[in-house]
Amino acid sequence: MKISYYRFLSNGLKASLFLLLLNTLQVGVALGAPDGKKIYETKCLSCHGQNGEGVKGKYNKPLSGDLTPNQLAKIIEETMPKEDPGTLPEASALAVSGYIHDAFYSSIARERNRPARIELSRLTVKQYRNSMMDLVGSFRPAAVSSDKTKGLRGEYFKTRNFNKGDLAESRIDAEVDFDFKEESPLPGKMEPAEFTLRWAGAIHAPETGYYEFIIQASHAVRLWVNDNNLPLVDAWVKSGKDTEYKGSIYLVSGRSYSLRLEFTKAKQGVNDNKKPKVVQPAFVKLLWKKPGGPVEICPGEYLSSATLPEMFVSSTPFPPDDGSLGWERGVTVSKEWDQATTAGALEVAKYVAGKLPEFAKTKDGDAQRTEKIEEFLKKFATRAFRRNLQNNENEIIKKVLKEFKEPQDGALRVLVWVLKSPNFLYRNEGQGSALASQLSYTLWDSIPDQQLLDAEASGKLKNAEGLNREIDRMLLDKRTNEKIRGFFHDILLLNQSHELNKDASRFPGFDPKLESDLRISLDKTIEEIFWEKDSSYQRLFLDQELFMNDRIAKFYQQNAASKKGFEKVSLDAGQRAGIVTHPYMLSMLSYSAESSPIHRGVFLARSLLGVTLKPPPEAAAPLAASLHPSLNTRERVALQTKGGACMTCHGTINSLGFTLERFDAVGRLREKDNAKLIDSNGWYVARDGKKVTLENASGLGRYLASSPDAHRAFTEHLFHHLLKQPTRAYGADTLEKMTLYFEKNSLNMRQLAAEMARMACTEKAGVKLQEVSKQP
Amino acid sequence: MAIKSFDRRSFIKNAGISAAAFPFLGNLDALALPGKSVQKQRMVIFFSPNGVVPESFWPNEDGENFLLKEILSPLEPFKKQTLVMNGVCDKVRGDGDNHMRGIGCLLTGVELLPGNVQGGSHTPAGWANGLSIDQEIKNHLQKADATRTRFGSLELGVLVPDRADTWTRMSYSGANKPITPIDDPYQLFSKLYGQAKDKEILGSVLDPVIADLKKISALVGKEDRKILEEHTGFVREMEKELRGLKVSQSHAMPKLDPGIREENDNLPKISRMQLDLLHNSLVADFNRIATFQFTNSVGGARMKWLGIDEGHHQLSHEPDTNKVAVEKLVKINKWFCEEIAYFAKKLSDTPEPNGQGSMLDNTLLVWTNELGKGNSHTLDNIPFVMVGGNLGWKAGRSVKFPRIAHNRLLMAMAHGFGHTISSFGNPEYCKDGPLVLS
Repeated sequence: MKISYYRFLSNGLKASLFLLLLNTLQVGVALGAPDGKKIYETKCLSCHGQNGEGVKGKYNKPLSGDLTPNQLAKIIEETMPKEDPGTLPEASALAVSGYIHDAFYSSIARERNRPARIELSRLTVKQYRNSMMDLVGSFRPAAVSSDKTKGLRGEYFKTRNFNKGDLAESRIDAEVDFDFKEESPLPGKMEPAEFTLRWAGAIHAPETGYYEFIIQASHAVRLWVNDNNLPLVDAWVKSGKDTEYKGSIYLVSGRSYSLRLEFTKAKQGVNDNKKPKVVQPAFVKLLWKKPGGPVEICPGEYLSSATLPEMFVSSTPFPPDDGSLGWERGVTVSKEWDQATTAGALEVAKYVAGKLPEFAKTKDGDAQRTEKIEEFLKKFATRAFRRNLQNNENEIIKKVLKEFKEPQDGALRVLVWVLKSPNFLYRNEGQGSALASQLSYTLWDSIPDQQLLDAEASGKLKNAEGLNREIDRMLLDKRTNEKIRGFFHDILLLNQSHELNKDASRFPGFDPKLESDLRISLDKTIEEIFWEKDSSYQRLFLDQELFMNDRIAKFYQQNAASKKGFEKVSLDAGQRAGIVTHPYMLSMLSYSAESSPIHRGVFLARSLLGVTLKPPPEAAAPLAASLHPSLNTRERVALQTKGGACMTCHGTINSLGFTLERFDAVGRLREKDNAKLIDSNGWYVARDGKKVTLENASGLGRYLASSPDAHRAFTEHLFHHLLKQPTRAYGADTLEKMTLYFEKNSLNMRQLAAEMARMACTEKAGVKLQEVSKQP
Repeated sequence: MAIKSFDRRSFIKNAGISAAAFPFLGNLDALALPGKSVQKQRMVIFFSPNGVVPESFWPNEDGENFLLKEILSPLEPFKKQTLVMNGVCDKVRGDGDNHMRGIGCLLTGVELLPGNVQGGSHTPAGWANGLSIDQEIKNHLQKADATRTRFGSLELGVLVPDRADTWTRMSYSGANKPITPIDDPYQLFSKLYGQAKDKEILGSVLDPVIADLKKISALVGKEDRKILEEHTGFVREMEKELRGLKVSQSHAMPKLDPGIREENDNLPKISRMQLDLLHNSLVADFNRIATFQFTNSVGGARMKWLGIDEGHHQLSHEPDTNKVAVEKLVKINKWFCEEIAYFAKKLSDTPEPNGQGSMLDNTLLVWTNELGKGNSHTLDNIPFVMVGGNLGWKAGRSVKFPRIAHNRLLMAMAHGFGHTISSFGNPEYCKDGPLVLS
């Protein structure tokens, strides 16, 4: 039985969440294809209205639903136009369904067409974890020394004690990876039979999640991470033959945590110094397995000799945020989310209440104890709410504390209330410290610090000079660094978990450790370019150098790098296109043995050029290379996607992806693919309708560096990532104005971010909030 | 937060409950499965250090007609339920000094692994090479629905030093896996009642949270009000759930005196707090097995409340000829015995919930020690005094065994719980089978 076209169309299911980027750009249409818009206007508009809203007396229901364009096309082809069904050719039906789908039918189109406004949002999960950490951390001293010295402070003691007098040497060790055998670590300075070693400093967490720390050691060891009192690994009693010890800990990304490792060859308990000594072989290694990473020696890249206070890490699991528009937003709540906020509030409240003497700077028997705790709780609530407390809020704190004999019991309740309160959980900048909070969530995804609150209180954020000074300061904070890093991970698709399983026979040596090193290398590239003075967007695509360590150098070049750490080395000069041709990106956008022009093309189109692509009508497996022995990859892809329906999108995708064909599945330069010379030319039809020819990767890189489409896409992605609101909520021309600002300022990415922070504090935002607070 | 065996996250994981559900758990009895009609069996093993004074400890007689000497005199009211076992020896040898083996092999019946902890004599050693009998029996009980409880066992202590070494650990969940005893009553309280307390706290913050939601709702536009209304709905749901989860607690949540610090002079106070909490936990059927460790092997409590200023361990090294020291050691050991008698009384005053007799009738209390005698460091004649219980053992008597291995007693405990193991610890010492005590 045929289902009526009308019923089908109006039977919109609930919005399904296409993971497509919201964008008004139209796909470059293959030459000669029918124009869907024109067909709609001539054949459909009279009954369905300009935007599918319907026409009274003809067909008065809006056209909206969840069919795919192809399903839609089939119905159109069979049932439309109403007076003469079946007269529309397949290609025309497809074109018109594509137009309808994009313009108003799909859930994404509907979302896009809604009038934009700044929506009331709760904290995203990232913002929540950061806020908790900074809220608790604001009552603790700041880091003692700078993070900048890479490696841990190593202290070498001659005896079983950590006494100054027994210290033979103090130095920086890049990593803990020692096999002393039967030797002394410091021949001449200490004996091989008995010694004690300590490494202290900090570890940087590049991802959020559970980290497994693994110690391989011949003798007694213990390890502290973040918590300086309770060891994560305690094998200080050496017992039996075990030489490997493990402990797991949840860490939040973008932060450093204190770390201390101790190793001793000596015995504990009664001193047996007088007994004759037998020298046993000794070794000690500190390894880790970061979330999704391999087991590896804890990389020196993440170790530093900073002295840090303990951090509060909220490990309560949360449901993921709404990412349907391509960036995380806090615009929905769910029961799971509410329960998580309860568990999270209890977690932090117990932590804080258990350390009240530290936080409230009081102790048992202190005559001022209750007053000090009350003061502390008021400060805590003020920082959590990002504004001054109102009278009744002060009253609640006072009253609850009075109810309980033990201030700790009262404190627990106050803390849970504060952290469950919408005043903490929502970005409700309508009251009080609107600007400070806007700035801190835009650049840090966290609460404002005291300096920012002070700047607001003294009115400094109201004038351009004061505002800019704060923004400049904030940009240098590691929280901005982390937020920017998250932005690049979003656009480079690094947040999706990838395992780059490569064909071991084709690419021997490409293992998880190399993969992990490549990610570090990519991160370092981004960080270097973004944080250098020019913060040059163009350099992202023009750079011809690669951060290499020993392992990367061995794999990508025949000669090994001399140093253990990472350094920049020129690679295939003139052939590369910056981050686009970074081996990690090229490997990620490949199959295990063959390159994938389609994956590469989709990435370039969506992430870097801002092209909207529909999902393929049906999932298609790539043509197997073995079935087409005479073809190379480009030819196979062209063969598979040559159909008219495919070419609507693949015209764009393939022609972009082909430009990277001179790089194989692990990102190495090649001349030939399947014994054939490679054609790595491509093209792109820009938004202005001009067709641009792209010669090789370097041509692509030059185009991305200078293309208005790419500038616009970058600006929009950054805006969404920083402000978490659609650009149009700040005015219909916001995106155009921002893009223009970017181009006028030498494509300086940092300046663009600063401009966006200013935008977050503009009249527009302010006016809205003032209107809001006037409403009854 | 670090994952530790005792943290709540791993408890939740072990219990197979999602963390998100955690604050709303019916907790308590909801997880303590109701016992079947079969009479419950429980066991609590008490440890005190440094040996005893044999002359003031061991009854002279063998059999039902016996007199309790000074140290054991607090058990007089429970004499008919008391079983004193002389002649049980810790025969396990190997690495470690007698103190280390005294505590480490006491409940495991197996050697210590070679390690880096050096005692006053002998070779250095590490942890015991096997699990302890309390854990063996707990595992057995947790396997069956009828005997499974929320925790299975509790490992408790009083003023256990804050360091992990062979001298401070008695219970083992496996080879090389010592269990840290909980010696902080507040920590124990939150383990037992934390979830109930969480509910209390959550209940108390609902009103201000809803008031805050209302206030913000009044300030924002119509479109933004939707998310807040939805949010308010969830808070209301939580309110209902909290109200609906009225737990049929078999006893009220105990109240602890606040601010008792872990220091020597508070030992008597902390001991009673811990014993009271353990009693609560047994009444609620949170666990059927417990160990209770006073200080540690070589423990040096200064019992100033008895007029004794010297440390316990120091005194235990004095020769028998030092009458003053011996007198003090008698007082110290009698004090430990009073604590056990206090606990026995509490249990005997509590009728067995849903059962017959008193709780003492169904709870075997075992008082033991790391050494036979302090100044000789002997592992022969390890004190084993039993009170109460229903393992089918004949009580109300003093028994003198001909120097038998204590492994056989550990086996008898398991057999008493219906767990008929053919050996425990080093099989070498189990050849003659479990002690017959009926």
